[in-house]
Amino acid sequence: MKNGSWVWGVAAATGLRAVATMVGVLLLGAAGSSWAQDGGAGAAGSPSLSRPLGGSGASKAAAPGTFREIKWDDLVPQDWDPLKQFKSTNFSVMNDSDPRATEMLKRMRETWDNAPTNNEMDGVAVRIPGYLVPLEDNKSGLKEFLLVPYFGACIHSPPPPANQIIHVKPQKPPKGFHSMDTVWVSGTLKTLRSDSYMGSSGYRMDAVSVEAYVEK
Amino acid sequence: MSALLTLAWRSSWSRRATLSLVLLSVALSTFLLLGFEQVRTDVRENFSQSVSGTDLVVGARTGSVQLMLYAAFHVGSATNNIRMDSLAAIAQHRAVDWVVPLSLGDSHHGFAVLGTTSDYFNRFLYGDREPLVLAQGRAFTNGIDGLYGAVLGAEVAHARRYRLGDKLTLTHGSGGLPGSEHADKPFTVVGILARTGTPVDRTVHISLESLEAIHIDWVGGAPLPGVVIAPEQARKFDLAPKQVTAALVGLKGRAAVFNVQRFVSGYAGEPLMAVLPGVALDELWDVVGLGEKALLGMSAMVGVVSLAGLIAVVMAGLNERRRELAVLRAEGAGPRHVLLLLAGEGLMVTLAGALLGALATGLFIATSAPWVQAHHGVNLKLSVPSETQWMLLAAVVLAGGVASLIPAWRAYRLSLADGLSPRV
Amino acid sequence: MIEVRDLRFAWPGAASDCVVIDALSIPAGRTVFLHGPSGGGKSTLLGLLAGVLLPRVGSVSLLGTRWADLSGARRDAFRADHVGYIFQQFNLLPYLSAVDNVLLPCRFSRLRRERAAQDGGSPGHAARELLERVGLSQALWTRAAAQLSVGQQQRVAAARALIGRPEVVIADEPTSALDALLRDSFMDLLLDACHASRGTLVFVSHDERLAARFDERLSLSAVNRTASSMQAEDSL
Repeated sequence: MKNGSWVWGVAAATGLRAVATMVGVLLLGAAGSSWAQDGGAGAAGSPSLSRPLGGSGASKAAAPGTFREIKWDDLVPQDWDPLKQFKSTNFSVMNDSDPRATEMLKRMRETWDNAPTNNEMDGVAVRIPGYLVPLEDNKSGLKEFLLVPYFGACIHSPPPPANQIIHVKPQKPPKGFHSMDTVWVSGTLKTLRSDSYMGSSGYRMDAVSVEAYVEK
Repeated sequence: MSALLTLAWRSSWSRRATLSLVLLSVALSTFLLLGFEQVRTDVRENFSQSVSGTDLVVGARTGSVQLMLYAAFHVGSATNNIRMDSLAAIAQHRAVDWVVPLSLGDSHHGFAVLGTTSDYFNRFLYGDREPLVLAQGRAFTNGIDGLYGAVLGAEVAHARRYRLGDKLTLTHGSGGLPGSEHADKPFTVVGILARTGTPVDRTVHISLESLEAIHIDWVGGAPLPGVVIAPEQARKFDLAPKQVTAALVGLKGRAAVFNVQRFVSGYAGEPLMAVLPGVALDELWDVVGLGEKALLGMSAMVGVVSLAGLIAVVMAGLNERRRELAVLRAEGAGPRHVLLLLAGEGLMVTLAGALLGALATGLFIATSAPWVQAHHGVNLKLSVPSETQWMLLAAVVLAGGVASLIPAWRAYRLSLADGLSPRV
Repeated sequence: MIEVRDLRFAWPGAASDCVVIDALSIPAGRTVFLHGPSGGGKSTLLGLLAGVLLPRVGSVSLLGTRWADLSGARRDAFRADHVGYIFQQFNLLPYLSAVDNVLLPCRFSRLRRERAAQDGGSPGHAARELLERVGLSQALWTRAAAQLSVGQQQRVAAARALIGRPEVVIADEPTSALDALLRDSFMDLLLDACHASRGTLVFVSHDERLAARFDERLSLSAVNRTASSMQAEDSL
């Protein structure tokens, strides 16, 4: 089931905004190559929840030795279908205070927490745009940060699933970056198979470069 | 060209009485620009060095900046306490590695008192993931054994000349009124930390149980009248803390930070919030940044005023110099040499003023750094000018050069018109 | 040395020309006394001769080169190389010492610097020799020019005009501010120096009594038709 716009419409209509958001983003990621090749929504524009940075669609292959420019949905395995569990659910009869809605939200969250990494990306040299969340920033520069696909990932909206967060350690800590700055990050991705804290872990990167994002 | 520079220098030097005021004002402007920039970056560095390796700071629901300020920098106060069982629930989250509770509120001669567990000394990092080091003694232990033991930050020990084994009493709140002392329960210095350059230096660390013990006969900020519980008697009470001010949280994997943050915000037991230290600091700088821009603007204004003074002084003196300019014309200087000469004079005054200002900045920092360190905990560093400071210096000199072109242009026109016979 | 042909000059905004000279020729090595009343356009003419002012019509040439053929910068350089100038007063830069004032032309002209070096071993040495020749006591050499008396300043000015042996020395009423004694001694040293170096001297003054010592004597009203017409009006 690739076209789930009816879910979006129904969910919005019934007011299950959180669920709708999560589902919407998932669909965007899972749709993959069925969208326009050049990322129909344009390279950037004003990024919002429905358009993660870099647009959507398949990434371009790159010459060997350089960084392959990828998009966030490349980090999601093709066979992951988080909506499987909701196929039988009838949204239209639910409202916000329904305990089943809360339960669904919880299950959705768990699904996201357990979102698997795309193992094909392990060891690939990539270049990806995103928003920067500082973790270790001191006088020698920004030593560690998280890269997330959309703005306000830490406050307003549901947190990104595990396979949409990259834990970046720049080889040369840059200076002058601010929380939620848009950046291009280039480096080799590493997927971590550890069951310690999130079911499946996410991505790590030792970044070769961190540059400010400039709209093309 | 070098002939003109020499002439410009000699001419300016001969007029030094008049130009000295201008020079001083340029120096002042440079001093303000450079000094402010230094203080700004040093304060920022200080704050950003203060906490490291902590993924989240948890506290009662308030502003994220406020939470960071009192939990990490011991500045300001909390709006509410949080319960220990909430912290226990957070510690249960599968992504959480460790939780260190913090309790603030008391003070000792202006230094903050922090109640925490012994785990604090293992988990708390600063700067570039540097751990706390005990210069002398040891950390207190948790529970009854560690009662009334205090670990002092380096500045506390230095300022009050404490050594291991000394006794000290704590004050309730941060007031200095007599009667708010916990005089009946003195503490013993069991450890002194090495200097960190962070608020840790200005803090007295005690165990949570100790904090409970000294408040056991207090209610609502004042001692219960007629109730006296001796220090040893307090041991028999249940000293397990029920409430704390905030907590530092470390995770098993840093990418889980959003999930745990959301968990804390949504915790049903009481209204809590969790902030990422890096993000909260950036928000602090956003707020402070406005004030910084205003100060920078003011310093630039002083610069503009001083250069206006330079223009005015040189312009005013031009009329008397017309014969001098005619002499130069006769000797082979053209109107453009005259322009270069006047511009050169102005540039030299600006350059001298800028250098004087830079020296004054260095001097100021060197002399005031110890006082600032002792009273505010900020480490001002005397060093080679940073890139921004070089650019500010260059901007001052460049602006002076450009401003000097105004009287220089006037001299050019005068020289052209006068030729060899100035009508003075 | 100096050739003037069909010269017409008017100050900007003036209704008519203030300098009109059909022909004037001053050969090399000549000392010329140019006599004219004050305000008769003397300074203007000197400005034209020195290339500081350019004629509206006609030409002024020095050493075979027309001033108008040179660009502004080249004119200044040419003037520095070949012309020594003495003002009536305020000749010196007050913030330089006497020696440095004498050396001023050497700063602007390499030719004169080299010639001075030839004459005295180094420009500085040549300057000191000249100061001695004009009779300035050694104690005053390093004094700032502002501290010298008028007579002393004029003598320093003469030394400056002579250093590096420029081909032409132009003097604009240099003795008007001096008393009789100082005037005579100044005239002596100036004329002696010019004769010795075989340079051309154009000396402008309203004081006819000085004319006797010069090779040639010209009257401004004879040379400058505008001045003569003005004089003719005055005498009517």
